[in-house]
Amino acid sequence: MSEEQKNPNYWKSLNELAQNEEYKRYAEREFQENASELNDDVSRRSFLRIMGASIALAGFASCRRPVQKILPYSKQPEDIVHGVPRYYASSQPFQDALTGIVVESREGRPNKIEGNEMHQASRGATSIFGQAELLGLYDPDRSRYPLQNGEQSTYNAFRKFCNDHFSDAGRSIAFISEASSSPTFHRLREQALDRFSDARWVTYEPFGEDNALAGTEIAFGERLRTVNHYGEASVVVALDDDFMNPAANKNSVQNTKDFSAVRRVQSAEDEMIRFYAVESTFTLTGSNADHRLRLKSSEIGPFLYALAARLSGPLEGLASYSGFTGKFTDHEWIEILAEELMNHRGESVLTVGAEHRPELHATVAAINQALGNAGESVTYHRLPYLPEQDNSLSLAALVREMNDGAIDTVVMVGTNPVYTAPADLNFSEAISNVETSIHLSDYVDETSKNATWHVNRAHFLEAWGDGYSFTGTRSVVQPLIRPLFSGVSAIEFLNTVVTGEETGGHDLVRRTWRQYYGTNFQQRWNRVLHDGVDTDGHFPEISTRIDSGFDRAARQFTAEEMDRDGMELVIRPDSTLFDGRYANNGWLQELPDPMTKITWDNVALISKNTADRLSIQQAGLGSVSVDIIRITAGDRQIELPVWIQPGHADDSITITVGYGREGIGRVANGTGVDTYPMRTTDHMLFATGVGVEKTGRHYKIACTQDHHSMEGRSLMRYSTIEAYRQNPDFASYEGSYNAELPGEKYAQEKGQEHPLAMFDPPDYPDHEPQWGMAIDLNACVGCGACTIACQAENNIPVVGKKEVSTGREMHWIRTDRYFEGDVDDPRALHQPVPCMHCELAPCEQVCPVAATTHSDDGMNQMTYNRCIGTRYCLNNCPYKVRRFNFFNYTDEFLTSGSDPEVIQMAMNPDVTVRFRGVMEKCTYCVQRVNRAKINTKVETDGASVRPPDGTVKTACQQVCPAEAITFGDLTDEESTVSKAKRNERNYLLLEELNTRPRTSYLAKLTNPNPKLA
Amino acid sequence: MGQIFPKWANRVPRRILIALIILSTASVAFVWYFFSPEYTDVGYAPDQPIPYSHKIHAGKLDLDCQYCHTDVFKSKMANVPPTETCMNCHNQIRTDQPTIQQVRDSWEKDEPIEWTRVHHLPDYVYFSHKAHVNVGVGCETCHGRIDRMEVVFQKEPLSMSWCLDCHRNPEKYLRPVEEVTTMGYKVENQIELGRKLVAKHNVHAPEYCQGCHY
Repeated sequence: MSEEQKNPNYWKSLNELAQNEEYKRYAEREFQENASELNDDVSRRSFLRIMGASIALAGFASCRRPVQKILPYSKQPEDIVHGVPRYYASSQPFQDALTGIVVESREGRPNKIEGNEMHQASRGATSIFGQAELLGLYDPDRSRYPLQNGEQSTYNAFRKFCNDHFSDAGRSIAFISEASSSPTFHRLREQALDRFSDARWVTYEPFGEDNALAGTEIAFGERLRTVNHYGEASVVVALDDDFMNPAANKNSVQNTKDFSAVRRVQSAEDEMIRFYAVESTFTLTGSNADHRLRLKSSEIGPFLYALAARLSGPLEGLASYSGFTGKFTDHEWIEILAEELMNHRGESVLTVGAEHRPELHATVAAINQALGNAGESVTYHRLPYLPEQDNSLSLAALVREMNDGAIDTVVMVGTNPVYTAPADLNFSEAISNVETSIHLSDYVDETSKNATWHVNRAHFLEAWGDGYSFTGTRSVVQPLIRPLFSGVSAIEFLNTVVTGEETGGHDLVRRTWRQYYGTNFQQRWNRVLHDGVDTDGHFPEISTRIDSGFDRAARQFTAEEMDRDGMELVIRPDSTLFDGRYANNGWLQELPDPMTKITWDNVALISKNTADRLSIQQAGLGSVSVDIIRITAGDRQIELPVWIQPGHADDSITITVGYGREGIGRVANGTGVDTYPMRTTDHMLFATGVGVEKTGRHYKIACTQDHHSMEGRSLMRYSTIEAYRQNPDFASYEGSYNAELPGEKYAQEKGQEHPLAMFDPPDYPDHEPQWGMAIDLNACVGCGACTIACQAENNIPVVGKKEVSTGREMHWIRTDRYFEGDVDDPRALHQPVPCMHCELAPCEQVCPVAATTHSDDGMNQMTYNRCIGTRYCLNNCPYKVRRFNFFNYTDEFLTSGSDPEVIQMAMNPDVTVRFRGVMEKCTYCVQRVNRAKINTKVETDGASVRPPDGTVKTACQQVCPAEAITFGDLTDEESTVSKAKRNERNYLLLEELNTRPRTSYLAKLTNPNPKLA
Repeated sequence: MGQIFPKWANRVPRRILIALIILSTASVAFVWYFFSPEYTDVGYAPDQPIPYSHKIHAGKLDLDCQYCHTDVFKSKMANVPPTETCMNCHNQIRTDQPTIQQVRDSWEKDEPIEWTRVHHLPDYVYFSHKAHVNVGVGCETCHGRIDRMEVVFQKEPLSMSWCLDCHRNPEKYLRPVEEVTTMGYKVENQIELGRKLVAKHNVHAPEYCQGCHY
């Protein structure tokens, strides 16, 4: 590759940017150091000994035919066809928002979660959490029975205890619950508060919506839910709001759908919305911005007030901000944003991160109101179930009462306050001052260990429930399987506490729903169960007016705004573990963070400038050892590894919570550092004036950002929409390099379509469909849902931190994250990379045993039973998409624990579980393809094996909230994938190698403001 | 100096060579035959918990295969019937027999009967009954004359070469779809009929790996 690339150079890590010696050595290696060596706990010699033994055993065992049993039903339920999956609509609760899902059930066990196309919050897609909940269901570490003072007990004993204990209705009882949108839950809540005269209820979520609600209360005098309609906006300004990240926004799927829909460009005539992000750390959302300003989280306030002050001139209703002057009053961005917002009145969205102070939410609400966005691109809704008081305040008040001994019994429903409550409340001490504490949870967690009673909770796929989506669509949570470990749901648990009875969730939910459906109950109930959606209703939309007290309040809080100097510490939920509730989920632990690409750990993120000032070395490559720093805020301190994040704000440290748990389960234990001790009631989002020092110690991080590096070739292509309009062919080879495609001239002279090849392309029979995929990089936001969906569909094992750090992760589709530009303020770009299914596949030509060959329908097939593990194919793959089972990962994954059958139930029976020494890679979900082909063959009476367009969806395509992936038959001119591939932005990865990939990309576009460019 | 080796020693190398050739041929032949599914698998007839006789039901009584194996045209699996299917008749017929008692127990206790699997493919093979019977591969073609089996045994090797034999020349085996469950189906002009059926059903049996392995 001698030609200079026209496009700017992309880099994945600081080492790559610097092109230092270490990087060159690293990149030149085919495998990462140690990847092909067996130097793990088992030394090579002892490993061979073990292997020898297992070969001998296997040899004898294979002489005997394994005896398998067939257990038919005794009484078979109607409509069951063995071997044909069944699909049931249900919903996935996450905090107080439901997402509609459709669950695939095979012979009675839920096997894969998909989005429900009829549900507004899903429209066929799910987040990473929606996918990973399946593994959560089959987690063998979940709590299996109730505990009384740490001793095994039964639910019946608990019920008897409740009957006895709660017969005294005058007890002073406190309920602490997680957020829930379930009408049944709230019905029981009312019942509890009625029955017990001295009861109080606190809803506590470590990352909730409180500040946003308090903000609308300041602005409009009422606690209202803010719903931003990104699909109806022309300009979006997000201040520290990561609204596409499921860990930061409970409506992320709908947000991503809406956002990518208005960013989608089919032709040069299409318009794109413009998106500005202002944030401290590089978030997933910020990486999709046209313009991104890095700003400390503590400076978002003055920035917003300065914007409000600037807007107070042309707009009415912001007079109270007019006098504000601060650090940002003359900032370039204030003028630009003001102009953009003024030009798009009624069709813009201004939003601020959920954890920011209520005053900022109030200011944002006031600006949206003044701009005329309220009721248009931003709507406000009254929720049927919100408490009047701010929950963090009520939790603090409750803790005071508990410490005073005023509380007799604490009932905790699904929440884990000992772990997640603000550290200064010292909840574990408070709970010891309470005589009786009852805790319902999935795991025997930090709170359970401090509680008198622990009750094991049923997973949502095991129990009946109901609830509202973020915008107010009401659905039922329908169980797919009986509780594996005899747990109970939150409503069943509450019902036992309140009534002392054991009523099934089905009855409880139906009792609630009877009030919605007067007549025709059964019919309408069946319809809800079938569709998964009741009505497509919204929570009542409120037409808002600025509250009379707002002006005075705004004057006061702007006057109180002060400059916060020095280092700040920002605490955020983790992109993959959220608040820690997914800590025992291997899929999520191993999913690389969308921006840092770190797995299995949390780190302190800082900018390059800050690192230089603290003389912190940049991270190395591969198995990376990084500095551990000590962060001090007030009298609290924490030590954790530090990571340089390009694009991070200076003088700011970002840490995420959710790690450092002990005694939860095999996956969660001992990963990362618990950072909750730094989170106090005064510093829920950030603390300022923190001290940082190096400890001199180091820590190894497993980061995938340099794995499978492609060394600065033009793999990621992007342009601005203006440049695209002038030069629609920018994404072609010629457009990206100052050279023509090698061999193309010769081919044209010879009248051939493709450059000459050493090998003959395969012949494809006419009757077969020809599969192909197109990935629209303009739509992709980089969330990683495709990786998890693929893992769930294709039985991909979790390999653990140690294996990831030697580059042995098994994900079939990875999302590469490139940076472009300078290290302080780069642009980030995402590119999902599955197998390219090359027509002239380099892997096929080197396999000595023909284990990887071409199929008649144009797929590069991997035949596990033929593979002998030479890894030649992996060496010869220019895209680095092949994965090798260096160890018997699946065996370890599937036989761990005392009852391995549980985790085995999560496996897809249509996909082979691969063994040690076997190569594997993306198959275009051939199991789905073949099923569709057989079905089409039978349905058309043998006429065709080409499934109609849209019948076959790959797992990654189906889950994608941005609808970035299209898949289908290339011989069908009208198929969506054929149309996508005719787009001018379509390009092939490493086209110059003449591998003729079936997977292609549509180049990314941005819509920058000419004034900022 | 006398001879070190006697004269007969001249013949030794030749004999060793011949013996080696015979031995290696024999061992190849040994492995070829005795390690092949044809030897290891064909004839496998495990004991079943209930001495259910296909010979009586499918042979003497001439029940259609699909009376019990209902899903064979609809699914990749040809299901083993639920106890319910047995009870359709056996709640009235031969209710006093001890062997039927087990069926009745299963029915009354709502517990499955534990059958032992006879036809067993490796885990990396995905065979679909639906894809085969709908284009006219007869039950008998793979399972043999079930109607003559007192105890079901594996008739064919179910090895890959055996599968490919038909995938490469389907006309040798295909029959009209309505004859799929017929036992002892025979026509004189099989190849001619087979060619017609291949054309009629557009049969392109996959010979690429992913047709069955994924």
